[in-house]
Amino acid sequence: MLTREEWLPLARKLDWDFTYVREEEVFPEVISGHPWLPHTEWEEWEESFKTSYREYVDNQYEKDMAVYAVRDAVGRLENIQKLAAPWLNSLKVHAAALPLAEFTGVIGSLRGARFGRDSAWRTMSTFGALDEYRHTQIPLLLFHQLVRWDSQFDWAHKFYHTNNWFAVAARHFFDELTLGQNAIEFAIGTNFILETGFTNLQFVGLASLARESNDHMFERMVTSIQTDEARHAQIGHPVLTVLMKHDPEYVQFLLDKWFWRSWRLFSILTGVSTDYLTALDQRPYSFKEFMEEWIIDQYLRTLDEFGLKKPWYWEIFEQELDIYHHMIYASAYTYRATLWFDFVMPSPADRKWLRQKYPKYWDDMDAVWEQVAKRWRTIGPGAANESAVHGTAMPTFCDLCQLPLSAGTPRKNTATVLTRDGHKYIFCSEPCRWIFLREPERYANHKDVVKRVLSGEAPAQLPNLLTEYFRLTPDTWGKDVNHGAYDWLAAQKKSTA
Amino acid sequence: MAIPLYGFLEGDTLGLLVLAEEGETVLELARKLQDAASIRVARSNRVGLIYNGKAIDPRLTVAQAGFEAMDRFDVVWRDKL
Repeated sequence: MLTREEWLPLARKLDWDFTYVREEEVFPEVISGHPWLPHTEWEEWEESFKTSYREYVDNQYEKDMAVYAVRDAVGRLENIQKLAAPWLNSLKVHAAALPLAEFTGVIGSLRGARFGRDSAWRTMSTFGALDEYRHTQIPLLLFHQLVRWDSQFDWAHKFYHTNNWFAVAARHFFDELTLGQNAIEFAIGTNFILETGFTNLQFVGLASLARESNDHMFERMVTSIQTDEARHAQIGHPVLTVLMKHDPEYVQFLLDKWFWRSWRLFSILTGVSTDYLTALDQRPYSFKEFMEEWIIDQYLRTLDEFGLKKPWYWEIFEQELDIYHHMIYASAYTYRATLWFDFVMPSPADRKWLRQKYPKYWDDMDAVWEQVAKRWRTIGPGAANESAVHGTAMPTFCDLCQLPLSAGTPRKNTATVLTRDGHKYIFCSEPCRWIFLREPERYANHKDVVKRVLSGEAPAQLPNLLTEYFRLTPDTWGKDVNHGAYDWLAAQKKSTA
Repeated sequence: MAIPLYGFLEGDTLGLLVLAEEGETVLELARKLQDAASIRVARSNRVGLIYNGKAIDPRLTVAQAGFEAMDRFDVVWRDKL
């Protein structure tokens, strides 16, 4: 009988020499990825954490049982109903953004399972696909019970099936990163950048936010998912090792591209959840502090390890740490009916905390919140007054990331217009413009929401856009959690009267 | 005929789509953007409009100023002009 250590290499390394077909036909470059190299260059491919199918199934079974046990103990509706309103809305954001994005990860991983260039890589990708399927089903299961209580949770399944502007942006990202990607770029973009660089650590941070917010169900769920991510994210590292020997410039491009694209989405999901949708007394750190401690240090160390450079846009990225998600949140608050979750206005105590954590540009952001507060004070609180404290003009979107043109600072927005082949494109930032220009054929034909409105594909009137195109209803579209009825706002009104 | 433009108001957190009428003045266009952003940025009379890197005479019409569809314009505080 072989020992585990003797048996595992036999089970992992299963490649053979092809005699009836050429290797290029079995692994075409278009779907296996660039650079195309003979298998001899890949045969040393080795993951650092090795597992067999039997071990995998045993582990996953135990992890599933632990999730179900926590659900039965503290994940019932009455437990969820006790959570603070801002955090509940952070849950709704993640409920929508996470499950079906994970399902696109199934597809991308399965591409690696077939077209990865070494059998050990393909085995790991098979486990990765099973992981991602689990990450689709667990949140759908946990959030489904909440739909009968709050129909905004219906967006856990509905989100990616709509043309909501944020769904358009998320699809644009995941369609390229996972669904339509070759095995090598998937390993770099998803496994190495998104998972190793962002989500693996993000889930650690999210679990901590959930714990502080007394949401033990979500804490257990993301912890369980994170342990899977930590394993299959390792696929990226050995792929990168091989690529660096053959085409380091291409590696630098892929890293710079996917770091920026991941940052864009991540800063919204995690930045907004950390600094706005977690109650002030439950915030363990600011988003910027989290990024500096958990993401940036680790990423720069990895670049050093491979002899790679910081992305050329590093200064822009560092500036965005101070401002981007604040601009997005204020913009989204004033267009909250275009989204499927509710928003909270930062109180004077929140604003004091934000000023302390983000001193560089907070004066400009504070002026925006003061103006919104003034509008509520003038109009008065109440559900019927929501529309009077809401934007009416059409917001605009970047032709690369598809997110609002909210980059730069309130004093100097960095959007730039590009004319190419008789068409005009607008980009929120130089990195988005650079990514577009590196591979324009990938992106040029995609229409952002504004161009869909102008071409007649989407309704121009906001109420019709919300209901017919974004598939929101008066019950589900976003509102202020208090409809403007804040004690501090009433006190300010009294003192100015 | 309306010309769709990307408008950026100094102090605001996002760009807005503004439909400019050929016959309206540059000052009216600037006011239109200020109105659209007024939920986030207080209105001010001390503003000017920049297009293609140049300050535009507020008395000119949109047609005279030569705005082209899907271009960017900025409304900035006058001390920036």
